[in-house]
Amino acid sequence: MVFRYPHSYVINVVADDRPGIVAAVSNAIEQLGGNIDACSQTVLAGYFTLIMIVSFPEKLDAALIAGRIERADTSGRGYDVVVRPTIPPDQFVPRPECDRFVITAFGKDQPGIVRRFSEYLAGKDINIVDLYGDHSGDEFVLIGQLEIPKYWDIRMLQADLEQMGQELGFTVKLQHENIFVATNQLRLYGTPPGQTSHASHRRDFIHD
Amino acid sequence: MLRTDEILSTIEMLHAEHLDVRAVTLALNVEDCAAPSVDLLCRKLRNKILSRASRLVEVCDRVGAKYGIPVINKRLAISPVATILAGHGQTAALQVAKTLDSVATEIGVDFVGGFTALVHKGITPSDAVVIRSLPEVLSQTERVCASVNVASRHAGINMDAVHEMGHIILKIAQATADRHGFGCAKLVVFANIPEDNPFMAGAYMGPGEPEAAVNIGVSGPGVVCSALKRRIAMDKNLTLGDLAEEIKITSFRVTRVGELIGREVAAELGVAFGIVDLSLAPTPTVGDSVGEILKTLGIAKIGAPGSTAAIAMLTDAVKKGGLFASSSVGGLSGAFIPVCEDAALAEAAGAGHLVIEKLEAMTAVCSVGLDMILLPGDTPPETIAALIADEMAIGVINDKTTAARLIPVPGAKAGDWVHFGGLFGSAPVMDVRNAGASAQFVHFGGRIPAPLQSLKN
Repeated sequence: MVFRYPHSYVINVVADDRPGIVAAVSNAIEQLGGNIDACSQTVLAGYFTLIMIVSFPEKLDAALIAGRIERADTSGRGYDVVVRPTIPPDQFVPRPECDRFVITAFGKDQPGIVRRFSEYLAGKDINIVDLYGDHSGDEFVLIGQLEIPKYWDIRMLQADLEQMGQELGFTVKLQHENIFVATNQLRLYGTPPGQTSHASHRRDFIHD
Repeated sequence: MLRTDEILSTIEMLHAEHLDVRAVTLALNVEDCAAPSVDLLCRKLRNKILSRASRLVEVCDRVGAKYGIPVINKRLAISPVATILAGHGQTAALQVAKTLDSVATEIGVDFVGGFTALVHKGITPSDAVVIRSLPEVLSQTERVCASVNVASRHAGINMDAVHEMGHIILKIAQATADRHGFGCAKLVVFANIPEDNPFMAGAYMGPGEPEAAVNIGVSGPGVVCSALKRRIAMDKNLTLGDLAEEIKITSFRVTRVGELIGREVAAELGVAFGIVDLSLAPTPTVGDSVGEILKTLGIAKIGAPGSTAAIAMLTDAVKKGGLFASSSVGGLSGAFIPVCEDAALAEAAGAGHLVIEKLEAMTAVCSVGLDMILLPGDTPPETIAALIADEMAIGVINDKTTAARLIPVPGAKAGDWVHFGGLFGSAPVMDVRNAGASAQFVHFGGRIPAPLQSLKN
């Protein structure tokens, strides 16, 4: 992760989707003298969410940043803003060496599906780095991109998940991410071995 | 981060359309197993295979599970057995074959290829031993596969060897008459045999290869067929160019699966990664069929005019997609049309739409040849040899690999259905027109000289 300035914050914005939200948020940040170092946005069922890593030359109060972003909205519809200072890389929960896998589950929707699978994964110290769930025809489709500690035997995890899937009437597959990379992208391999989502939190600064 | 649509499309290809890795073949040099005593030869052979290949099945299963792709067949291919049999006789050949059969069972591979003789220019005494031992070897072993290369672009066609094979194939059929001549399904007669082919029965480890290598064959007729059907359903105004593009893209994806699995299996075994064979290899399972692809491309009756053009387009598009996906493409790399192993082709043969002559024409533009063709049991040996010679000529003149896997079914006549089961499927015995009318040509013997490499019209 590269930060332009030394004081960085994570910002989260939630709103009903409409044009102009990113423009309003980024305008407020620029007015405060900040720089957007990374961002990711998605829209789900008409709702917008944005996560940004923003850095400033001077230390600012998180509530001040949130207030300025909220006031930047010109639509009158408003949005919810959460701002918190980033934590130093050494304060993240240390992760064991991991490999990237993808879990896919297909079946008839019912309450508790995401909970059952995510509780199982949490119990195995498996980190979900991306999660998608939606209806596809009569089925509910759940796709999770996972960081699985290397000490697990994948075939044991697969057996557990398939058994859980059977109980729920779901077809569940757990596969290494490289099969999806190799069959869809120009390169053969995905994330280099050992590089997890947290590994990218090493701080680098751009010096003008 | 991967996109959801990428994940979903791969899941569909792997699980709904049943893409699998058809064959992981460990090719192993066994020339250092030669020994003056056949007992020592067999002991060295067994020890070498056990030390290099005993983990093959376990590694394939583990790597397959990691990516969620079953590796259906794990196989072994060795140096041409004629090289280690020099100085030995037919009894030794059978003992070596039985050793291979038992060690293959022990390590859990379904076939071991390399009971091979390369005789395109001439037959050495050890080649003759191998060829003449085939009726015993293929009837008394389960897992040993044989191949004989009788023609090449540089040597032409060894018609003495072709003639001999006509007789040998009949003898193998008679030795396995209780199984409808099934022994012949484990023998391929080649022109321009590839050194790195992972598919049986023709896999062997050829000259110029490393000490050991993993060669891989990925199935895919079902996936290609589904991709075409999906595309056609979405867009009614497609041209053949659009369909070729769809095949190319699908072939890219299928080949990548092979490359990924092959490289990892090779690394785990500590041997070289050899090649991915792009061939579309059908199975008797409905839907996993090259014939079905031809039907999807608009050939209502396989064998009808247009069949050759359709399979030419298919084969070319498969190669283009595969070659971009991997820098290690080799083996046969085309589209197989084994009548017995492809339900749609067998059905077309049964209905009289597909005849040997049309199959022969199709093999001029695809791989690999007259494959798994059932012949009447009373087909004369010279006619079997002449069928082989025709197929060899296509390979030699067109500078490509061609092959013949012909099964004269003892006691059967044209139109009878024969059921082998498993991957070998079932098919009707095909009519051989003008049987017996090529005898004099075959009896001339000698060698059809190597062809011109220019003026190729």
